[in-house]
Amino acid sequence: MKSHKYILQIVLLSLIFPLALHAQKSSEIFRAAGSPHNPKVQISFNKYYTSEGLATLSKKIADAYPDLVRRESIGKSSEGRDIWMMAITNYKVGNADDKPGFYVDGNIHSNEIQGGEICMYTAWYLTENFGDMAYITEMLNDRVFYIVPTINPDARNDYMKEANTAHSPRAGMIALDDDRDGLFDEDGYEDLDGDGSITRMRRKNPNGNMIVDPKDPRVMIQIGPDDIVTAQRYELLGSEGIDNDGDGRINEDTHGYYDPNRDWGWKWQPDYIQRGAYKYPFSAPETRAVADFALKHPNIAGAQSFHNSGGMILRGPGAEEDISTYNRQDIQIYDAIGKKGEKIIPGYRYMTVYKDLYSVFGGELDWFYASRGAYTFTNEIFTAFAYYKDKNGGRDQQYSFEKDLLMGDAFTPWKSFNHPTYGEIEIGGFKKNFGRATPGFLLEEEAHRNMAFTFYHAYHMPHLSVSSVNEKKLGNGLIEVTAYIKNDRLMPTHASQDLKYKITRPDYISIKGAKVIAGMIVMDEDFGVTQEQKVSPEKIVLKNIPGNSVVKVRWIIKGSSNYTITVDSEKGGIATSK
Amino acid sequence: MFKKNPFISNLLWVLICVISSSTFAQSDYRNHSEITKKLKDIQSKNASNVKLKSITKTIGGYDIWGLTLFKGDHKNKPAIAIVGGVEGSLLLSSEMAVNIAENILRDHQEILEHTTFYIFPNMSPNASEQYFAALKYHKKGNANQTDDDRDGNLNEDPYEDLNQDGLITMLRVEDITGDYVKLKEDERIMVKADKQEGEMGAYKIYTEGIDNDKDGAYNEDGKGGVNFNKNLTYNYPYFKPGAGEHAVSEKEHRALLDYLYEQWNIYAILTLGPTNNLSTPLKYNASAAKKRVVTSVLKEDESLNKFLSKKYIKITGTKDAPTATGKGGGFFEWSYFHFGKLSMSTPGWWAPKFKGDSINKAPKNRQANFLKWAEQENIPNYFVDWTVINHPDFPNKKVEVGGIAPYVMSNPPYKMVDSISLKHTEFIIDISKMQASITLQNLKTEVVNKELTRITVDVHNQGYLPTHTEMGKRSRWLRRIKVALKLKDNQEIVSGRKIQLLNSIDGDSSEQITWLIKGKGSVEIEAGAAHTGTDSATINLK
Repeated sequence: MKSHKYILQIVLLSLIFPLALHAQKSSEIFRAAGSPHNPKVQISFNKYYTSEGLATLSKKIADAYPDLVRRESIGKSSEGRDIWMMAITNYKVGNADDKPGFYVDGNIHSNEIQGGEICMYTAWYLTENFGDMAYITEMLNDRVFYIVPTINPDARNDYMKEANTAHSPRAGMIALDDDRDGLFDEDGYEDLDGDGSITRMRRKNPNGNMIVDPKDPRVMIQIGPDDIVTAQRYELLGSEGIDNDGDGRINEDTHGYYDPNRDWGWKWQPDYIQRGAYKYPFSAPETRAVADFALKHPNIAGAQSFHNSGGMILRGPGAEEDISTYNRQDIQIYDAIGKKGEKIIPGYRYMTVYKDLYSVFGGELDWFYASRGAYTFTNEIFTAFAYYKDKNGGRDQQYSFEKDLLMGDAFTPWKSFNHPTYGEIEIGGFKKNFGRATPGFLLEEEAHRNMAFTFYHAYHMPHLSVSSVNEKKLGNGLIEVTAYIKNDRLMPTHASQDLKYKITRPDYISIKGAKVIAGMIVMDEDFGVTQEQKVSPEKIVLKNIPGNSVVKVRWIIKGSSNYTITVDSEKGGIATSK
Repeated sequence: MFKKNPFISNLLWVLICVISSSTFAQSDYRNHSEITKKLKDIQSKNASNVKLKSITKTIGGYDIWGLTLFKGDHKNKPAIAIVGGVEGSLLLSSEMAVNIAENILRDHQEILEHTTFYIFPNMSPNASEQYFAALKYHKKGNANQTDDDRDGNLNEDPYEDLNQDGLITMLRVEDITGDYVKLKEDERIMVKADKQEGEMGAYKIYTEGIDNDKDGAYNEDGKGGVNFNKNLTYNYPYFKPGAGEHAVSEKEHRALLDYLYEQWNIYAILTLGPTNNLSTPLKYNASAAKKRVVTSVLKEDESLNKFLSKKYIKITGTKDAPTATGKGGGFFEWSYFHFGKLSMSTPGWWAPKFKGDSINKAPKNRQANFLKWAEQENIPNYFVDWTVINHPDFPNKKVEVGGIAPYVMSNPPYKMVDSISLKHTEFIIDISKMQASITLQNLKTEVVNKELTRITVDVHNQGYLPTHTEMGKRSRWLRRIKVALKLKDNQEIVSGRKIQLLNSIDGDSSEQITWLIKGKGSVEIEAGAAHTGTDSATINLK
């Protein structure tokens, strides 16, 4: 009987989850440390997924783990695609949106695709390991992850499916008039050789300043002023394309251009100051969807966005004009997490946007920190270090790597073409999936390391408890109750920016079930220095609970000592005395 | 002497009332529904020249009206946008916007041949309705729920009308720990004690109300809402009451900006609001203008502003305007610093100076001066005399309610609104007559040889104003002037460009362009942009 039931279950299960068929018998598998060895949802992490591909995967994860995942569309893209978010926590413990929240997204820049897969890996890892790994189980009991694999689904697809370089498109798909001629996106790229990528154009020219490397026909070398050259000379003519609008320029008004990462509401500046700004903060529907979601979730205490490339762990400020926003206490927390990240992800460097990269007004990481009070990093995925795991390698190794490790899959050899303006030319070069996008065999490792970094970050969001309660009899039925409220992680309940501008409400420490005569914050327990709260003493209002610290509050109550004490913090969660 | 007949005298009164209401004796500012009715009336009476559109409904449920005055192809005629109600307490601004529309249609129809007007009478309907409410105070915010003091509690400390006069004024509390004293020139006015003059404070002052949440602050979190004029992107006042959670966070802001960003023909914006760059032009500051984040008017635009200001003062006959520079997040500042348009702003009216004489001296203090003027003009109820009340927060203290009534200092008596509107109509008509206008001049064709023709033309701006402000040259929201040569298949350009883009052309200036063309037949030249007008010419190649 029992075995029949079992078989029936398998049949039913395989009907519901056809993928489960691919799961192997556990007897055939030996667990590799740190990875789910026989996951319910099979995903291969050596390829990239379109927006629809990511949407399918998030649905599979949500369907497989209904007690851990709520999947919701936080808004629509400009072309009407859903922006899918997975809210992952243990829904059987506490109220999800009251737990400290960690927000993760990817792909704000269309061509910077890895974030989609890193987000998906993170969601998959959390769900498949819950119950198996104590660290993950505890994380999902205490925290909620809001994961949005792509906040730019339209242009992610455009990058993958249409004529693009490794660098295009960066913008979303709203057409803009880049050359201010009254026409919108009228002169984009053309995939003239039909290889699916926009590569480069070159033309034989006796006066050109380039030659083909005699040792590698893929490589173009620049001629120096003292070089004596007998080889065929070439000139480079830019990216593949034609002059669509007859204005004497090629590819001068491609898709966009606005930059979704210049569209956020902290120190936003218009296009003439910050190239790429669109109309006003959150004028692109995708960024607006994220902002509206974040505004409704003040519990978000940490955030992470994934870009490419260069191997960077970036913090704000984005602009020198905004230095004073990031003060010393908060930078210490950023430093602690960022430096850990350098160790977790070899080849990555922890950097500050305005001084180590370039100026960004209206960037996502500044908004999440300065406007929402959430400690936020942006990681630039993939670095030339990965080619040969060599810090001194640099970008020029890409030709040998492409040959040695990718078996020549990432380069379109030069081929002749008859161009309407330039005449006889040649087209060739690296394909769009090389240079910025992590090659397949490295992708899972890069996803794992970046996820581990976000876990470290999420772990150090505030973690509150009523660690102990002391009572002292004062006579005449009065009892002095002192509660010790502990935050045993790095982050305070309010970043200093949050404290300065009261971004999130204060923390409340309340006592219930007792007749409260007076309430106070204990400033110095040994010397009995306290600060009384005259109004509503049963609910003590605390501006902040710092990281790795204990704060003390005290009540004078009358009569029964059958009470409960609750700490309620927007970013620190809710904890009650036992 | 005739005998008084009560019936006849009553009838006379009724008749007078009927006649005066039917001959439209508007005697006070119009509320949102009256303005709406008027706009619909304007539209229906001028159907072929007026479009009326609700660009959005605020969360308070009010339509934000956009009125287009036009003739023919309105999108390709240079346009002026006029925006009123950027601050809800300036009732005059909405009235002016509506009246200007009416005046243009009545007296200046011909201007629509070359200029389109986009008029938004009231961006703060929720706030301006407070004037018509039982309790009057300067409300500026919309109906959004805001925690103005950011303490986690919503609307926990609003105003209270303690003397029950329907107005929110001030409280003064006799207290030697206070910093305020009565102004010597006029003891009705409270000012900070001048320590330099050896004055000692004797009063504390608050807005009228009680400290509901006992946090020591008075009326710091009532039904605040987001203030239209604090929620735009230039110098946005982060986390300040009324500013919202981020710039351009509200429906009405997004709707207006989205609309304006799509009207490529707009070259100028007149803001009817608190800032006044028409009486006092913006001043250039070299270091602020050269910084990356520009906070000064640019040099060329400073002279343009001076020129406009001279015009304004002359046409409107206004003087003694108080200096009124913008605060962060303002609409006027956005229209210049972030949108790059020719930007003008005026409140339209301010209380004129009371001149005084040797006996009745003119006070220096602006409020005291206003009181004298109001008295002279017989303005009703302009001041609430200080009256002692019992205040629960100040037992055993002498507490008085009083002060200048809301609205009276920033809005003129209603009977003045028409003449103010007429003068401002004249001003805006004058601006439109000076607008940039691209024309093709001195068109010349030369036969170089049998095959080749040289064409030369001056692309001329025959307006007084430049095609682009200096800021506008930087902005992606003003198009370049496009000069295009339209060729047929048998024609070819030997020298010159088929399409070229000119950054800008100053007023009364030109740029010469030449082409060498191979072929026969006719060629068309077109030059211009939506906000400069477009001209074209056809040439027959011999």
